[in-house]
Amino acid sequence: MVYARLILMRLLKAVIVLLLIVIFNFFLIQMAPGDPAAILAGEAGAADQEFINQLRERFGLDQPMYVQLWRYVSGIVMLDFGYSYRLGVPVFDLIMDRLPATLLLTGTAFVLSLVLGIVAGSMAAARVKKPSGSLIMALALVFYATPLFWVALMSVLVFSVYLGWLPAYGLYTVGAGYTGFALVLDIAQHLILPATTLALFFMAIYTRMTRTSMLDAAQQDFVKTARAKGLKPSVIQRRHILRNALLPIITLAGLQAGQMVGGAILTETVFAWPGIGRLMFEALQQRDYNLLLGIFFFSAALVIVFNIFTDLVYRLADPRIKGAS
Amino acid sequence: MKTPLALAISAAAFAFSSAALAGDPQSGGTVNTIVQPEPPGLVLGMVQNAPTRTVAGNIYEGLLRYTTDLEPMPQLAKSWEVSDDGRTYTFHLREDVTWHDGEPFTADDVVFSADVFHRELNPSARAVLQHVENIEATDDYTVVFTLNKPFGPFLISFEAGTFTMVPEHLYAGTDFRNNEHNDHPIGTGPFKFANWERGTVIELVKNDDYYEDGLPYLDGVNWHIIPDGGSRAVAFENGTIDVLPSGTVENFDIPRLSAMDNVCMTEEGHEYFSPFAMLWMNNREGPTADKRFRQAVMYAMDREFAKDVLWNGLGNVPLSAFGSNARFQNDDLEPYDYNPDRARELLAEMDYDGEEITILPLPYGETWTRWAEAVQQNLREVGINVETQASDVGGWNQRLGDWDYDLAFTYLFQYGDPALGISRTYLSDNIAKGSPWNNVEGYENERVDELFNAAATAFPDEKREALYHEVQEILHEDVPVGWLMELGFPTLYRCNVQDLVTSGVGVNDGFKDAWLER
Amino acid sequence: MSFFARFAQNRGALIGLIILLLIIVMAILAPLLFPESPWRMVQRPFLPPLSQEGFLLGTDTMGRNVAAGLMHGAWVSLLIGLVSTSVALLIGVPLGAIAGYYGGLVDDFLMRFTEFFQTIPNFALAIVLVAIMQPSITSIVLAIALVSWPPVARLVRAEFMSLRHREYVEAARLVGQTNSTIILRQILPNTLSPIIVLASLMVATAILLESALSFLGLGDPNVMSWGYMIGAARTVIRQAWWLSFFPGVAILLTVLALNLVGEGLDDALNPKLSRER
Repeated sequence: MVYARLILMRLLKAVIVLLLIVIFNFFLIQMAPGDPAAILAGEAGAADQEFINQLRERFGLDQPMYVQLWRYVSGIVMLDFGYSYRLGVPVFDLIMDRLPATLLLTGTAFVLSLVLGIVAGSMAAARVKKPSGSLIMALALVFYATPLFWVALMSVLVFSVYLGWLPAYGLYTVGAGYTGFALVLDIAQHLILPATTLALFFMAIYTRMTRTSMLDAAQQDFVKTARAKGLKPSVIQRRHILRNALLPIITLAGLQAGQMVGGAILTETVFAWPGIGRLMFEALQQRDYNLLLGIFFFSAALVIVFNIFTDLVYRLADPRIKGAS
Repeated sequence: MKTPLALAISAAAFAFSSAALAGDPQSGGTVNTIVQPEPPGLVLGMVQNAPTRTVAGNIYEGLLRYTTDLEPMPQLAKSWEVSDDGRTYTFHLREDVTWHDGEPFTADDVVFSADVFHRELNPSARAVLQHVENIEATDDYTVVFTLNKPFGPFLISFEAGTFTMVPEHLYAGTDFRNNEHNDHPIGTGPFKFANWERGTVIELVKNDDYYEDGLPYLDGVNWHIIPDGGSRAVAFENGTIDVLPSGTVENFDIPRLSAMDNVCMTEEGHEYFSPFAMLWMNNREGPTADKRFRQAVMYAMDREFAKDVLWNGLGNVPLSAFGSNARFQNDDLEPYDYNPDRARELLAEMDYDGEEITILPLPYGETWTRWAEAVQQNLREVGINVETQASDVGGWNQRLGDWDYDLAFTYLFQYGDPALGISRTYLSDNIAKGSPWNNVEGYENERVDELFNAAATAFPDEKREALYHEVQEILHEDVPVGWLMELGFPTLYRCNVQDLVTSGVGVNDGFKDAWLER
Repeated sequence: MSFFARFAQNRGALIGLIILLLIIVMAILAPLLFPESPWRMVQRPFLPPLSQEGFLLGTDTMGRNVAAGLMHGAWVSLLIGLVSTSVALLIGVPLGAIAGYYGGLVDDFLMRFTEFFQTIPNFALAIVLVAIMQPSITSIVLAIALVSWPPVARLVRAEFMSLRHREYVEAARLVGQTNSTIILRQILPNTLSPIIVLASLMVATAILLESALSFLGLGDPNVMSWGYMIGAARTVIRQAWWLSFFPGVAILLTVLALNLVGEGLDDALNPKLSRER
């Protein structure tokens, strides 16, 4: 019951935030130079004024701005995101086409970075004064400091071009006609490089965070008590320290979700991953406003979902936090 | 740099000629190729941009095709006649053609496409149609076009990408842009539309009922969509992709890719478009309004360096406004060779005071960015104070449309005839805000207007030639825009793909004849 | 123990400081060692490193000296990192301070505002901002600042909330100091150390952000930055690995150094919290 109300409250807040984001972005995009109709006409290579006027009228760009905003917002409320100017397809369909790929990529990278980060971080915490612990931390720092796109480029060079182990781009092998398990395997192979490169950076953050917060937790009284009771160090490490250290990490992870969606733009570009990050970049270049606004809406929604999700996990991990506190 | 590439080209040329000796065409197989960027739609006439033409040129057809010398070949029209006064064109259509949905193709489709569909939707067809007084189907398979005056390039305007035949029975009386068939284009061509997975691939399959016996040989063509240039190159290298149409990989990759085993390259197949790179120079204000300044810019640029380093030595540095693939080129003009000293002299003569000017690169990929950097450096070295203005496609369009620039890169198609592709840049009645493709530089010269207008409707060709030669002399002196290069856009392919480029538009309609040697 | 002694106890921080100083020296020496513009096409394109005297790191696609670009780029990267961080602090510190000091509705409003900015994926927002303002040093700095101030605001707010009821603050209030004096004179100086630590990390992030923007083609075309060099070299990565390798390493080292220094500062400024390493 309490959970249900909590989720409801969060959702209500989310709706308001999303609406504000829509309006904010609407005005932001209006400030961009370049008229979508002119760009589309320009792409056609031979634009006369008549053609541009036809397009403007078709997109409703000939209307005053408040009419455009009103139309857009009232559309959104009915979950109608309009049509992509350039592709002439409903924005909702386009995004739904691409969203699964982004969810797969960011989801995998999220889980991967969190699990590996926590494992590496707790290993480092357990080996505070040993070289192996320092090595883990040094590696984490290097991953943290390396530009994401650079790792992506270098890993394509090494793993696809020179070694030929993994596909360099795309979501699956086009034309191979795989179905069922073979398709899953194929997609998994394509996922390895982009998910790993995207995960590395965040893994580094979680590693450092885990180590710090485990060292913090190790100073707490209940750990001392557990030690005094003569529990095995490995048990203390896992049951007492890690469990408590997890909380701040989960909070941080929720906050990082937005960054991960952003980072996906770079990964998707380098690996030709057909996700919404790439779609966004193209839409921006083309001034495909409807599409761009739709993508902003969905990526913000994605961040909010991630946040709510981590919030719930947080509550599950720490039974002391109850209700709407 | 030059030697390995020259080798690669001669190797490619050798492979190409040996291809002619290869055995008889074999049927079967699917070719994987690239379309870049993803086209906005596939209905030609409604959309005319380059990626749409590339894919849809294999779905749709025009009345005529053109050889690499831009001579007309029969396509949907099996023959044609031109009256002695150059005003009446009669086309006799093939009688065995059906649309992909099984309906017969007739003269009514031609009249509908030309007179209704293109007049409403298609700016480039409109430019030709303004010379057409009347279009009439005299019987089911004969169409007569009557012009108000002779129009020299009329016969070269029937290419599929410009003058597509669309099915009357599906479009007549509908809202064209919202027609349900736009998602599933129906043409008469050798391939049928099968599937479009957005962001990934467009699949075309063989049209089993195609009217030319035995054609097409291929079972299908998959057009992959890979937005990153590096990934496209990798896809070709690892064998996923068989054909790289011109412009789909960065120029820097071409020497490496063309040197690979079993890879052939051809420079043919772009003659119809013959892309001409230019530097818009704002004739209205600032230093660029001075003819001497514009001439100085021409002398300051090392265009041969750009050709060798950025374009792998492919292409051609033009004399002036008319490229080598355009008809009626005047060869007697003196070239603007790289001559920084001459540029400095001209600048001194006009008392250039170091006023800052900007240069706007074309936001279409790395080569263009590098080119702008090179030109900027060239100009700085003769003392021109120039800054680069960064921009994306939207900003570039906006600035050119508003005439808010000093120097700006662009390239334009020449469409085989000065009246179609060249005069539009210099005619003063083509000055209008809002488009980056008209007379953007703001050049006005009455004599030039007269000459171009007279030449477009002069008949026969000898008269046109004299007029065009004179106009080139004036333009060469005035330098309304900078003439950078006629671009060489090579197509790369696995050598076992045979007969790929058989026309002046290359792969845009090339898969009709292509076959896989196995 | 002196500040520097505490800092130097952390060996990593010392290494970081040395690297950072080297990079700063590089930036300062750039105009002396390579007085010509790094854009100048001086040699044959694609010269590999060490293959020709005077071209230690080879030449790029257009025959420009990579070493010259790298040194001039150091200047650009550091500048963008520092300026955008300062701007972010100028936005984040006042907002955080006001929210944390006054609490209540003001706090609520400001924190919603901050959250709002955090809900839009920040790299995406940066891309849009740069595209809208059109790429230039100014727009890049502004965009980076606009997406990186929220953590500052949150940190400052938290510090202010924990400090605002301290005795010395209450005392200042009793003697009739104005709110602005209390904020600026009493509380802010006590929050400086975590802000400095955060700022050093933000400079690093800003450098990464700039390189990512440049990589996507959204850099200032008039300055040679490391991100630009990688972006421009990306299409030729196969035939000229050194073009993207060296600037990549330069970014890596700079960001690494800044992080190490940040950790050292953390140790030195918050001795009680610093842990054995």
